[in-house]
Amino acid sequence: MYDLEFLSPVSSGPLSTPDGGLSLEDASASTKVLVRAARNTAAGAHLKVTYGRSRHRRDGTLICGSRPGEWTLLADPGRGAELVASLPDEGFVSVVDITHGRAMFRLSGADSIGVLAKVCNIDLADDMTPDGAVFSGSVAKVTCDLVRDDRDAGRSYLISCERSFGGYLFAAMADACAEFGINVPAGLSVH
Amino acid sequence: MSIHRLPIRSGELIDRSTNLSFTWNGRTFSGHEGDTIASALAAAGVEVFSRGMKYHRRRGILTANHWDPNLAVQVGDEPNVRAGSRRLVDGMEVTAQNVWPSLRWDLGTANRLVGRFLSAGFYYKTFMRPQFLWHNLYQRVLRKFAPGGRVHWKTGVHGEYDKRYAHPDVLVAGGGPAGMAAALSAAEAGASVMLVEQEPELGGHLRWGGPGDLAVLADLSRAVHSNPGIEVLCDSIVTGRYDHNWVAVVQRSHPVAPERLIKARVGSLIVAPGLVERPYVFAGNDLPGVMLAGAVRRLVNLWAVKPGSRAVVLSANSEGDAAVADLESAGVEVVAVLDARAGEDVVGARGRGRVSSVQTGDGRTLRADLLVTATGWTAPTSLLNMAGDRPLYDRTAARYFPQSLPDNVLATGGIAGDGSTTELTAHGRETGSLAAQRALRLRHARRTQTPRSLPPESDPPDEIADNRIPLRRSPHPERYRSTTHGLVDFSEDVSSKDLIQAAGEGFDSIELMKRYTTVTMGPGQGKLETVNAAAVLAESRAVEMADIGTTVWRPPFSPVSLGALAGRIFEPVRRSALQGWHEANGATNLLAGQWVRPDHYGSPMTEASNVRENVGIIDVTPLGKLDLRGPDVANLLDLVYVNRWQKLEVGRVRYGAMVAEDGVVSDDGVTGRLADNHYLMTTTSSGAGAVWEMLEDWLQTYRPDWEVHVTPVTGGLTSINVAGPRSRELLGRLVEDLDLSADAFPYFSVRKGIVSGVEDCIIWRIGFTGELSYEVHVPSGHALHVWESLLANGSDLGVAPFGVEAQRVLRLEKGHYIVGQDTDGLSKAPTAGLGGLVKLDKADTIGLPELRAAFERTDLPVLVGLQPDEPTVVPDEACQIVAAEGNEILGRVTSSRMSPTLKRSICLAQVDPSLAPAGTSVTIQLVDGRRVSATVQEHHAHVDPEGVRQRV
Repeated sequence: MYDLEFLSPVSSGPLSTPDGGLSLEDASASTKVLVRAARNTAAGAHLKVTYGRSRHRRDGTLICGSRPGEWTLLADPGRGAELVASLPDEGFVSVVDITHGRAMFRLSGADSIGVLAKVCNIDLADDMTPDGAVFSGSVAKVTCDLVRDDRDAGRSYLISCERSFGGYLFAAMADACAEFGINVPAGLSVH
Repeated sequence: MSIHRLPIRSGELIDRSTNLSFTWNGRTFSGHEGDTIASALAAAGVEVFSRGMKYHRRRGILTANHWDPNLAVQVGDEPNVRAGSRRLVDGMEVTAQNVWPSLRWDLGTANRLVGRFLSAGFYYKTFMRPQFLWHNLYQRVLRKFAPGGRVHWKTGVHGEYDKRYAHPDVLVAGGGPAGMAAALSAAEAGASVMLVEQEPELGGHLRWGGPGDLAVLADLSRAVHSNPGIEVLCDSIVTGRYDHNWVAVVQRSHPVAPERLIKARVGSLIVAPGLVERPYVFAGNDLPGVMLAGAVRRLVNLWAVKPGSRAVVLSANSEGDAAVADLESAGVEVVAVLDARAGEDVVGARGRGRVSSVQTGDGRTLRADLLVTATGWTAPTSLLNMAGDRPLYDRTAARYFPQSLPDNVLATGGIAGDGSTTELTAHGRETGSLAAQRALRLRHARRTQTPRSLPPESDPPDEIADNRIPLRRSPHPERYRSTTHGLVDFSEDVSSKDLIQAAGEGFDSIELMKRYTTVTMGPGQGKLETVNAAAVLAESRAVEMADIGTTVWRPPFSPVSLGALAGRIFEPVRRSALQGWHEANGATNLLAGQWVRPDHYGSPMTEASNVRENVGIIDVTPLGKLDLRGPDVANLLDLVYVNRWQKLEVGRVRYGAMVAEDGVVSDDGVTGRLADNHYLMTTTSSGAGAVWEMLEDWLQTYRPDWEVHVTPVTGGLTSINVAGPRSRELLGRLVEDLDLSADAFPYFSVRKGIVSGVEDCIIWRIGFTGELSYEVHVPSGHALHVWESLLANGSDLGVAPFGVEAQRVLRLEKGHYIVGQDTDGLSKAPTAGLGGLVKLDKADTIGLPELRAAFERTDLPVLVGLQPDEPTVVPDEACQIVAAEGNEILGRVTSSRMSPTLKRSICLAQVDPSLAPAGTSVTIQLVDGRRVSATVQEHHAHVDPEGVRQRV
């Protein structure tokens, strides 16, 4: 296979406020593997994460309990085959590499909760949605999976959606960020 | 200019160091930071701000706050601005509304000449005959008199409206002393609090009080603003309370949007709006110069405006008494104070343009330019009504009080009773604590039940009883109407005489009266009018007020701009990984559902012909794609498709159609078997989501024992159809280790392979265009590479992209139907020609009983191929097929195009079964009314009905 560049649905580079306090960046190239398994399977036991929560593995993989009996594994680009192979396949288990099927962004900074409050109706207070929380909801009218994955003791969210919505959703998120000081590039408009 | 501006007042809101310039009806005025539009104009001596809706009488300041019905003005492009509360901004262009040609000389005053025809319910009685005048005259004239400002929707410039979501534990509606105290105690109890105040600053009635009130206000306001647990939203209003404490707030005080709609899911709602002072009904009560006591106090104390020179005060309460003191301190000569508690009364006010004399109940005529009334309050219980409460009238206190509220809605402040500032704040604090405790218990339960949250470290807060000491109900005389008639509803120009007339005509229930007369239906939504209307009705029926009941207050609490309701509009669009290429290469786009797609690249006919002659490629990514895995997939397919699936071999593809429980065709597509327990299903583009949900629904409810995992992969696999007689040759140049020959890769087969170096591609050989074709599903991150490789490697083969329109032409030539276009919400399987596909002897299939019944029927429409006898005539889609003689409808054209291959028009049509035999001549009624004949064809396919071209 040729060394092909992954073409993201997002054409914009990272956006941030001048002080870097709030940032929005594309993470669509990240490896994303969907695992569906009954709780009593080896794969389910192997992942060790309950629905609604996530944990970082030592190898850098973020394991997210997306839905009951369903996990999403997030990792650096190019690790799809490795992650698929790493999962025990006894019992009824489905492992699908969805890297190409999901757009993903990282929204970071103290104001990220304010940004999301403009486009998402989930209660993001620390006690309801603490670091490590995994949840689904409508973001700017697009069904999304979200993970609160704090970075450097700062609030941070991973937001993923069906790939074809990616360009629109990034623009909608950037638009929501404008109130908090992010300069939205010309051409990145939802209106 | 500020001829009525007083010396500095201790509680004034204006910043005299500022000077804001604005225009009023074209004249330039000035005011200060902190002024309202109305206060700045009043300070400059303006007395008339609007005209009445029906009779166009002059109107001046009545309440001097948000609810003033006489202070609706146009500011620039924004209509219906509340000049009583909207703060002045430098450069504002303010004009009067609903007057022509000017506020001073308004031709609408001519309505007074026909005033006797404009009484209660006049619109139910007039404009009936002659009927033809309704459109030609009545409607046009009435539109001229429609109240309100103007929206210049074509040229208007405004900011973008916004919205946000919030989840405070406690939301306090009202920032008076009780509301502020409630917010503080709730926050101190650990609750997150949102405090919403409709005025630009907190304080409620404390703002225009004496030094003691101002000191309390300063302390409370400082504590509230410094508490990090309280979000304060001033110049904002709670407009509605809905199920499960979903509360709508319109925020006007936001820097980035003119208005922002906040959708708040609230643990506890505290309703603390205070009280609204109500007008007194008497002859001339709408003359400029007749003001409520609260208005006078606000003008004097908040904006240092002298409201008149010689005043008569009718007082039934302490607010009226305080107004007397304020007037005297402002240098207004108080000519007389009439004590309504002692039975003194006002029967009329007279004057031209403004009050010049007042007639008292004891027969005196007093010369005065200001008449102040203080006759009681209305409890604005709207938010409580929305929570299910039906407030009860208390004749001792002469107002309504809450009756029963759900646990998550609490009332405090004036709406709940009377008291000193200390008593009101004490009640507020108790209410805040109780609300917080209830909200925190709810939050604790939610955390326990929500998988994403961490389990609470402690037990839930103890449940505490509602031991609040109720606020007292101070006695107040029932003073609603004098011995004369006057206006009850200042917004709608409804008088007490109108109400009595309506009751006499039989509209004697408060709800009927409201609708018949429109009383309480103006912008104030009854805040000033409801109690007086009920009182007049009670009087006319000679019953107690308590027996009248109330109208039901529904959202919104206060009028909401359409912009705020619309908020920030999100319209998601979907783009394939190739859409950028399409647009960069001249594609004309088409919006198909949420998908942006290339309709064509210049000439659909040329594109279609190229597919027939050479090879074309089309982006069909929107095709729904579902990855199915598990040992029971074949069972699932057998259930949801009308045909059989148990014997589909690995490497083969099969067409399937789905019907709903009622036997109506719901979707179709092909499904390929990639491995023993691994399938890929395609659906229609528009049906992808619904089919996925349907599969999950059946798996989770009907057959949870089946082991099947369904994963939508529509966007992850970019789908490229390579179609045309040279498609095999083109694709053969790019695949690795894959034999594309007809023997090795026959029609309706699927293979996995490498295309142009991209692994994990899925290729199936099918043909929607009727040509030899391959559908290549490529991991989307590498799709552009494959697309460009196809073009680069096929230039000698004549490869060119084709768009959706060319594909539609090609599929129509081939006679492939499209679910939803050639079928409709009533089309059952026999109509779509699925007789050969449906297996009625299967054990189970969704809709099987209906399918069996449908195939026994002989009256269902039939889908047929149709060709107009005149080959240049292309009937529009949806043209009706009618009887040759007469107008009986016998079918309709479902698809039609000019065929570039046949050089003639072709159609698919649904027809009555009597017309279905090949060779039948039918009549099509065209859009322009002409009728043309057409002939039913033997096949759906107009080109290559035997399928020779696609099976090579």
